[in-house]
Amino acid sequence: MEQFLNIFLGGLLIGGIYSLVSMGLSLQYGVAKVLNIAHGEFLMIGAFVTYWLQQSGVEPLLTVVIVGPTMFIIGFILYRTVFTSIRLRSAHPGIYESNSLLAAFGIYFIVMNIGILIWGTTPHSYTYLNQSISVGGALFTQNRIVAAAFAVVIGIAFYLFLTNTRTGKAIRAAAQDPATAGLMGVNIDFVLALCFGFGAAMAGVAGSLISICYSLSTAMGLGYTVIAIVVVTLGGLGSIPGSFIGGFILGVIGSAVSFWEPGLTVASYYVIFIVLLLVRPKGIMGR
Amino acid sequence: MLEINNISAFYGNIQILWDVSLKVNEGEIVALIGGNGAGKTTLVRAITGLLPIASGSIKFLEKEIDKLPPHIITELGISHIPEGRKLFTEMSVHENLEMGAYSKPAWKKKHETLERVFKIFPRLKEREKQLARTLSGGEQQMVAMGRGLMSIPKLCIIDEPSNGLAPMVVMEVFKIVQELRDQGITILLIEQNVRHTLEISDRAYVLENGRVVMEGDCATCLASEHIKKAYLGL
Repeated sequence: MEQFLNIFLGGLLIGGIYSLVSMGLSLQYGVAKVLNIAHGEFLMIGAFVTYWLQQSGVEPLLTVVIVGPTMFIIGFILYRTVFTSIRLRSAHPGIYESNSLLAAFGIYFIVMNIGILIWGTTPHSYTYLNQSISVGGALFTQNRIVAAAFAVVIGIAFYLFLTNTRTGKAIRAAAQDPATAGLMGVNIDFVLALCFGFGAAMAGVAGSLISICYSLSTAMGLGYTVIAIVVVTLGGLGSIPGSFIGGFILGVIGSAVSFWEPGLTVASYYVIFIVLLLVRPKGIMGR
Repeated sequence: MLEINNISAFYGNIQILWDVSLKVNEGEIVALIGGNGAGKTTLVRAITGLLPIASGSIKFLEKEIDKLPPHIITELGISHIPEGRKLFTEMSVHENLEMGAYSKPAWKKKHETLERVFKIFPRLKEREKQLARTLSGGEQQMVAMGRGLMSIPKLCIIDEPSNGLAPMVVMEVFKIVQELRDQGITILLIEQNVRHTLEISDRAYVLENGRVVMEGDCATCLASEHIKKAYLGL
């Protein structure tokens, strides 16, 4: 029982972080149609900025307020400068998707190397809220619980934003049919840039949350990008609730596999990905 | 109200519209008819700002609109109810209607406008919470038309509203189009169902191979040998 709780709850805790990262990618890939290979690099930057600020005495959880908006602005500007011009120059959506993937690759290398220039390649870490709490005999550190709770609150808040506000509805409409959303008077370039900005902000905040419980390195980004791609596929492309739920599912599966054989965790994600593509490419919430 | 003067438009190197002129006066139903590939959809895309025109001009309420982006044209008061309905199928009927009121001035009045739309389409009030994809074809067309009204338009461009609907429902749709005109909305009606369209319209334009080949009041068009042969199968 204790072991089961350890695996299951541990999976849910890391799953909360996966959910947040994946919702971000879902906005960028599902709505703005940019398969953003550099997604995890925004996460890495967020993690290191929090680390940086923590070292100069700022409460790590408070850094979310700085990282989120900053990443949003960077993402928004990046979309308006790089991806909008690719979109306007592409003859059809297929060309736009492949060219923006290439551009994202470029951004991935640039951002990662900037990270290496500043912070080097050695892992960094700090301690924060590291007392353990017992849940039915299974032990979890406070920082993991706080990080997951933050991720879930942000996820739910964003969902409410999507379902209850004018801008949120415009994002959902643009996700389903950008041309018709434009017909309704939605400024598509602006909404897609918003999505990209929100995606970057979620990656950055997820990075901040990761930094309070795990060690960080400038090479950490790509691993999370892969996880996000698997979760977005699992949840259904463009479905925000799908990514939210998918994150928890992948967290629990990963937790179970790593209990059995830690070396196979990442491999199991690829297996899930391949099986999904073969059996149900539209994911659990996709249509 | 809408004044199109000698426009031409291209897709890549291929010219689709040749020197097309068309006028819609306030309070009219103007029909635009023509077969597949005649250029009807291209003309609508030019009016709504989705396709740049190569020459000529488009004026709406005395204002040149041919260089404005689509969302500004919507705000000025042109609403386009697209062919094939194009609903947001994963959103509720209520949310689809709300999206129609997306432009800022319309959003402020969306509650009153919604009441008005529900008066015209009482069925939509019953279906308010349902996802749009669960509705029948006729009901979906009503959502599309209701959504088009939510922007409080002065001119409504209705693109093939009878497409894919059962004959009974088609009659209902044409009745609603007349009702909209009675409420003071000017209508440009694009249709392949030529007989019914000419019966409810005031004037008509016939588009063939990207050129206006005939224009005039509907009685004249209905009596024309060319229309009888080409569109009414007589």
